[in-house]
Amino acid sequence: MTEILRVDQVTKTYGKHGEKQYQALKGINFAVNSGEFVAIMGASGSGKTTLLNILSTLDKPTTGNVFINHEDNSTLNANQLADFRSKQIGFIFQDFNLLENLTNRENIALPLSLRGISPRKIDPLVDKIATRLGIKEILPKYPAEVSGGQKQRVAAARALVHEPAILLADEPTGALDSKSARELLYTMADLNQNDGITTLMVTHDPFAASFASRILFIKDGKIGEQMLKNGQSRQEFYHLLIDHLDTDE
Amino acid sequence: MIWKLSVTGIKNRLKDYLVLFSGLIVASMIFYMFLSIATNPVFISKDVYGRTAYLTYIFTFGIILLVIITSVYLVYANSFLLSMRKHDYGMYMMLGAKSTRIGLLIFSETLLTGFLAVLLGILLGLGLTTIVTKVLIGKLGLEITHFKAILPSAIIGTLLFFVIIFLLGALSNVHKLTHTPVIDLLHEDQTPINLNHHPLLRGIEAICGVLLLAVGYYVMTLSTRYIYFLIPTALVTIIAGSFFVFNGVFTAIINYLLNKKSFSYRGINEFTLGQLKFRLQSYTKILTMISILFALALGAITVGLNFGSMKDETQKSFYYDATIVSQTPAVKKAEAKLTITNKQTYHYKEKGMHLYFNRAEFKKQPLKEIEIYFHNNQDNLPTYKVKTLVTAELDKPETAANSIFSQMVPNGIPKKIKLVSQQRWNTLNGQKKFVSYINVKDFVHDFPVIKQIQKEQLKENRNYQDIYLSSKSYNYSNMIGFTSAFEFMGFFLGIAFLTMLASTLMFKVLSGAASDKVRYQMLHEIGARPQLLRSSIRKEIGTLFTMPAILGIVDVLCGLQLFKTLLISPYHNIWIPFTIFIVLYLGYYLLTVTLYEKIVLTNK
Repeated sequence: MTEILRVDQVTKTYGKHGEKQYQALKGINFAVNSGEFVAIMGASGSGKTTLLNILSTLDKPTTGNVFINHEDNSTLNANQLADFRSKQIGFIFQDFNLLENLTNRENIALPLSLRGISPRKIDPLVDKIATRLGIKEILPKYPAEVSGGQKQRVAAARALVHEPAILLADEPTGALDSKSARELLYTMADLNQNDGITTLMVTHDPFAASFASRILFIKDGKIGEQMLKNGQSRQEFYHLLIDHLDTDE
Repeated sequence: MIWKLSVTGIKNRLKDYLVLFSGLIVASMIFYMFLSIATNPVFISKDVYGRTAYLTYIFTFGIILLVIITSVYLVYANSFLLSMRKHDYGMYMMLGAKSTRIGLLIFSETLLTGFLAVLLGILLGLGLTTIVTKVLIGKLGLEITHFKAILPSAIIGTLLFFVIIFLLGALSNVHKLTHTPVIDLLHEDQTPINLNHHPLLRGIEAICGVLLLAVGYYVMTLSTRYIYFLIPTALVTIIAGSFFVFNGVFTAIINYLLNKKSFSYRGINEFTLGQLKFRLQSYTKILTMISILFALALGAITVGLNFGSMKDETQKSFYYDATIVSQTPAVKKAEAKLTITNKQTYHYKEKGMHLYFNRAEFKKQPLKEIEIYFHNNQDNLPTYKVKTLVTAELDKPETAANSIFSQMVPNGIPKKIKLVSQQRWNTLNGQKKFVSYINVKDFVHDFPVIKQIQKEQLKENRNYQDIYLSSKSYNYSNMIGFTSAFEFMGFFLGIAFLTMLASTLMFKVLSGAASDKVRYQMLHEIGARPQLLRSSIRKEIGTLFTMPAILGIVDVLCGLQLFKTLLISPYHNIWIPFTIFIVLYLGYYLLTVTLYEKIVLTNK
């Protein structure tokens, strides 16, 4: 299997030299292969968000490297980083991050126009992903006119429309009710299994994490251990995870 | 504790506060300057010539406009102040601060900010009024001598006006904040915008807007006899028309562009268009007001400068620059200072009721005058042609030449002019006199010396009065008196309005920046290049600045029709005020873009 993401000895220290410093990440190493669904679990303050910001190139590591599709993003300048994000990464955020001044269709089309895709080809691509995610009817509407669950689907469509190397999801179910959360997670799992979309999800919710095929636990800025699904059902994996968390406490 | 928090809050947003504060200072400074000019009693009575009723009308109109624009400006500055502090206040309330206490905090903060700004503004205004009047007087060659920069009534007026407006602003802020749920204060950024899209309604609005504007522009071309009917009609139709045009036509254009995928799907054009579309909903009123004020301000400068050009016309309508009838040492000394390019001297003898001239002198150097041709086309200035007066007609009563010449010689009107041969002239008795007509190289440059010569001659010879009253220098200095005040007013009002309307637009844009920041952050995260974001901001703010400017320019071009009868050629040299105005406006645009970028493009 091809390696899509490799994180190599990544550390992140906040605060200047000579001042009081705080090390949020203390040498993170892991890799994600093509077609994997990996969840990173950890409590607040464990370094989850810092790690995700670094993976998504929004922040730079103090030391270490991040490779996405074998490309080292620590050497890129601001414009190259922007291009890199628009090509290689798809994002789903907890609070959807949709632009409320654009219709859902326009929101989904944005990454394509950012990549300079010919305007003629954009609508068919938007329609294709919207059909896949069951949101075709709400395309002409504005985000404010649809439900939270639908908004997150629009966000997912926007994250996937340009076929990125990896989908990064930051607590994607955090702002959803349990029904919408469940539906979204099933969709993500489906996209991963049937369309081979490589996914990395950061969450503190065991239910959400149980949809992944591998779970990495982050604690005090370090990746501690990992759990593999290994052919278990989602329910079995969930119970195993709960037990694991209980013993961990 | 709350007060401590408030001070910390202000400290954290010091940069934004400085923008607001400097804006308020500028506003109060301008307000003071205008008030000190408009209410300067000595200035008005001694320096401003023309009909008093007309002037009072202009000044009153100016003050009303200034009050309106300043009020609107303060409303937007106030909303900017509120938008900066909303989140903080929400947080204090969430932590359990009583709403009455928060109310008091907001009230004092708003009032204190306003009071400090107006005090500084008046202080600066005092200094600036002195400088500006001096510069303007010097640069434009104006003749304003009785102007006082320190005027207690203007100080009190400015203070009162600003304190009242800020008091109202403070009360409205308290009301707004204490009646907004805490959750909305905290999450204002995420509050969805109310959507309102009725394509049919927009279409009707667009058509109505264009029709109303057309009616407004048309009535301004009608005869100015109906001016009291024309101005209100034009104002109402143009204001309503502009409103509908912004709401209808511009929205239609944006919608068209949004639907034109080959355009909207390029870069982040769709985002820029989306931003504009949403802005237009809340900007219609302010854009309408700005386009009208833009027109008034630009109109004020144009008309003001046009009054100035009347001086040039006066200059052109006289052939000779000065008349010399005396040979006192003072006159001779002054004459030596002139750079004379042509001097025609005629000798005559005054005897009884006759003035005898030597015909030979006129044959040798014929008298000349300027003939003025007016055009039907108001865009062109009148044409001036040099005409030689027929010597044979100079002493023939009822001829034009005789009538003109008799006004050019002392005692020429009560007495009769006779032209005689050299021989006859030599034998004639009578008081021997002379009259010289002079042309100088640069009239404006030599004007003070010419004026001095006139004064000397008036002292010496009372009969010179008649010539003086029809001389170039008398008419020119009269015209300076008449136009200076208008020019000054136009210039001053124009610049003052421009500053305020552009600042109003700036604050309107900036007060939305806090909530826009989230959108730019999102775009940054999904991979929009910083350059692309900057270009989107420039386009978006550029459009918001351009739209009212275009309408404003059209308003001025059509509005100048009203001045057809008052000014020789309202459209003459129109590029000068337009250029001054556009350069200043552009400066404001760039400042807004820079400040906005600083707010929205700083990453988390």
